[in-house]
Amino acid sequence: MKGQASMAGAGKEDRTRPGDAVVRPRDTMAEHVAALIRKRSAAGELITAAEIPDLWEVEYPSFPDADGSGEDIAGILTRLVHENEDLHKLSGAGSPCYYSDLHMTAAYAQIVLHKQEGPLRLIAETVRQNSREYQRPVALDIFTQPPFNLEYNQVRDYLSIMTAMAGYGDIATTSSSASRIYLYSTAHLEREHAVMLAEWLDVGQAHNP
Amino acid sequence: MSGYGGWAGKVLRVDLSTGRIWTEDTIDRYKEFLGGTGIGYKVMWDEVPAGTKPYDPENRIIFGVGPLAGTGAPCNGRTAITTLWPTCWPIPLVASGHMGGQFAAKLKYAGYDAIVIQGKAARPVWLMIVDQKVEIHDARRIWGQGIRGATAAIAEIMGQDAVVAAIGQAGENLVPMSVVMNAVSHSAGGVGSVMGSKNLKAIGVRGTGSIRIAGKKGDWEKLIKYHLSLLGGNNQHVVPNSPQPWAEFYDPKSRWNASRGKRWGAAAHLVDTGTCAPRETNRIAYRSNTAAFFLGDNLWKHTVRGNGCTSCPIRCHTMLKVPAVAAKYGIPAVGQNTCVGLFFGSAFFKKLPDGPRGETSLEACMVGMHLADDLGVWCNYGQLQRDFIKLYYDGVIKKKLGSREFNSYSWNRYEQGDPAFLFELLPRIAGKEGELGTALGLGTGHMLERWGLSEEEWGKDKDLSYWKMGHPKHHASEEAGQCGLLINLMYNRDAQCHSHTNFLRNGLPLPLQKKLAAELWGAPEAVDGMGDYKPMHPAKARMAKWSLLRKELHDSLSLCNWMGPWVASPLRERGYRGDDSIESMLYKLATGDDKDREEMDKVGERIFLLHRALTIRGMGTKEMRDRHDRIPAWVFADKAGKPPFTKGTTRLDRDDVRVALDMLYDELGWDRATGAPTRETYRKFGLDGVAAALAKRNLVPP
Repeated sequence: MKGQASMAGAGKEDRTRPGDAVVRPRDTMAEHVAALIRKRSAAGELITAAEIPDLWEVEYPSFPDADGSGEDIAGILTRLVHENEDLHKLSGAGSPCYYSDLHMTAAYAQIVLHKQEGPLRLIAETVRQNSREYQRPVALDIFTQPPFNLEYNQVRDYLSIMTAMAGYGDIATTSSSASRIYLYSTAHLEREHAVMLAEWLDVGQAHNP
Repeated sequence: MSGYGGWAGKVLRVDLSTGRIWTEDTIDRYKEFLGGTGIGYKVMWDEVPAGTKPYDPENRIIFGVGPLAGTGAPCNGRTAITTLWPTCWPIPLVASGHMGGQFAAKLKYAGYDAIVIQGKAARPVWLMIVDQKVEIHDARRIWGQGIRGATAAIAEIMGQDAVVAAIGQAGENLVPMSVVMNAVSHSAGGVGSVMGSKNLKAIGVRGTGSIRIAGKKGDWEKLIKYHLSLLGGNNQHVVPNSPQPWAEFYDPKSRWNASRGKRWGAAAHLVDTGTCAPRETNRIAYRSNTAAFFLGDNLWKHTVRGNGCTSCPIRCHTMLKVPAVAAKYGIPAVGQNTCVGLFFGSAFFKKLPDGPRGETSLEACMVGMHLADDLGVWCNYGQLQRDFIKLYYDGVIKKKLGSREFNSYSWNRYEQGDPAFLFELLPRIAGKEGELGTALGLGTGHMLERWGLSEEEWGKDKDLSYWKMGHPKHHASEEAGQCGLLINLMYNRDAQCHSHTNFLRNGLPLPLQKKLAAELWGAPEAVDGMGDYKPMHPAKARMAKWSLLRKELHDSLSLCNWMGPWVASPLRERGYRGDDSIESMLYKLATGDDKDREEMDKVGERIFLLHRALTIRGMGTKEMRDRHDRIPAWVFADKAGKPPFTKGTTRLDRDDVRVALDMLYDELGWDRATGAPTRETYRKFGLDGVAAALAKRNLVPP
């Protein structure tokens, strides 16, 4: 058995914290774009290349226009991701998005991305991720909580839609004996396992507090 | 007293038969057993002969705390209460109950590491401890009162700085299913009637001293901050229960259930729990709302705040305000508790009008808390309620009670889920009134025997959660496979071990858990996915042994095994590792006794070994494998008939479990055939005298 006797890192931050990342004067457009990404991430949102010019006018009215500086936004973003450890590009079904991991983890950014891609994809990808990475079904009602914020009946409606749509054939449901609906992906969880886990999560754990 | 820090230095001895009060030197007699259960087992071994009954004056009840109690170490508020266990069936054996609250720290500040009570007072008394001043007082004025009334009466005498551990009417009436409680809601189940048998209503403690830390102040402060940095939420769940911007992982069943927007809605001023990120160590107290976890998100609006033990930032006893119950049931609008204590009342009902998380359920919880925590009735980890439901709906209660008694209960009200029914039932348990009240108060094993029901049958029903010897499972095979099973075999009551389950439920994905498990127990096979169990592996036996020893270590240091160990952490930069040496680091700095993790584990093993020796002596047999380490039938069954080691079942295999026992016995140096420790093992842990005494009775394997 190995212990970790060292207290290295106790009381220290591993990374620069939100808000402290950019303290020197920003004298290039790229630095301003980086700051924009970080600001959006701090608000729990991703940013696309197409959004930058509009935001630019609001945030930096005294600075040269984003599209008049001679630098291509796409090129700047590529360079920023390469040069800044905290900035990342996220590709999904739509345009690429950018975020700073000073303010959100990759896992959270994925959820925000799926949210942008619409409720069907948000539900399906969340269910798949839970089945794949955690080997667990998820209760339908987690989608009523932040950061998902869907209505319970909406989720039920979306599930009905998904059953008739291509690309969602792996999303399945089961109910616990306490009538709570659980979702899982048949691509990653066997039905009998999912049924047993749903019962354990909803009922069994209550008997094993 | 030597120059050690940490310990207060004295063990207080009280003989209630003679009125004699004296002290012993802790270091001279008990240092190798640390404190808590260690002192408890040592006293029981030295002073209570086999054959003694729980209510005999010769029985001892030991309130033991450890060298970390009353220091600044996180989660140090546990008092271990060791005695002969009245609900242990078919014969009483040694066990311990554990209460948090403020008692442990106050006892240390008064100058004591333990109180050993023996004898029986001629009339009801209570014990007053104010530093060196220890007096036995007449308790006739408070005898017959509930815990709250008795506590208030003693607090009036001793002042607000005092902590009072009291029994209710259940303990007074020698109801085995009874508790002792301090600090409003912090109870130790199973021991109330032992105090009652000694005519001891309460112990009030006021301490004005302090605990010396042997190490340098700066080092101690640094270590405390380090320990705090490793803390997760309640039960050391290290990920939040919903996706958070700062979190890589989440688990909807995590007890780290606070986040921005979650509010204590009944606080004087609305409190938002905030982001509750790992590095915000000054806000750990906001991370967990136990009531909301167990009773539903609706409980946020009823939350006043989190309450808890000395020096524990987790605050797992949620204080609730439900104004409706004051008018409806005439009980206080405010109550607090944690875990099964929270839903003591609602758990009696099979059906509630608006479901298990509705308003009626909440009212039942409030009524249950009010009654149980005043009368001092114990639930035996929910077994009381499970037994009651089965007995009623199977028609047993109707059959066993005379029609007059049966009709004296409002069964319609019960079936409709009316919380007012609890006012009929719980006082009768506490008062040993009638056949039903008497039988339920005995505990499962003795109740079944009284009513001619089969304990073996009880062990076939997985939903009953019954395990053995009158007690339920406590994180056994249903959630922790062979490891949980092995742990649950070892004790004479429910195991109360959380070392393993706090790791398995920490919320990290299985591959990461396996990686940490490999570092801790030598192979990733130590842990399995839930409902995807694999055959026994030596690493599982090592994990089981580690879990047991860590529990005994915690119980003897006064650390909380409900919160620890801290071998996983919420810190991404550490790869979610915690620190397996935190206990020894705290111990070493606090006491000045230079022991590393391995040496501390040996102390834990010595304590655990003495528990086994006490059990062997109490049972009068060394055939522990067959006669003590018994397994209920439900472990080997599956309702759908699924075979062991297939996905979707927690069913275990009998041959595999035999291998599991062999492996654990090997790890512990116990004889495979009997399950009894060998003479060499006793010798290895300095218990030669124990071995010799057992050998005289042929209780050591050849």
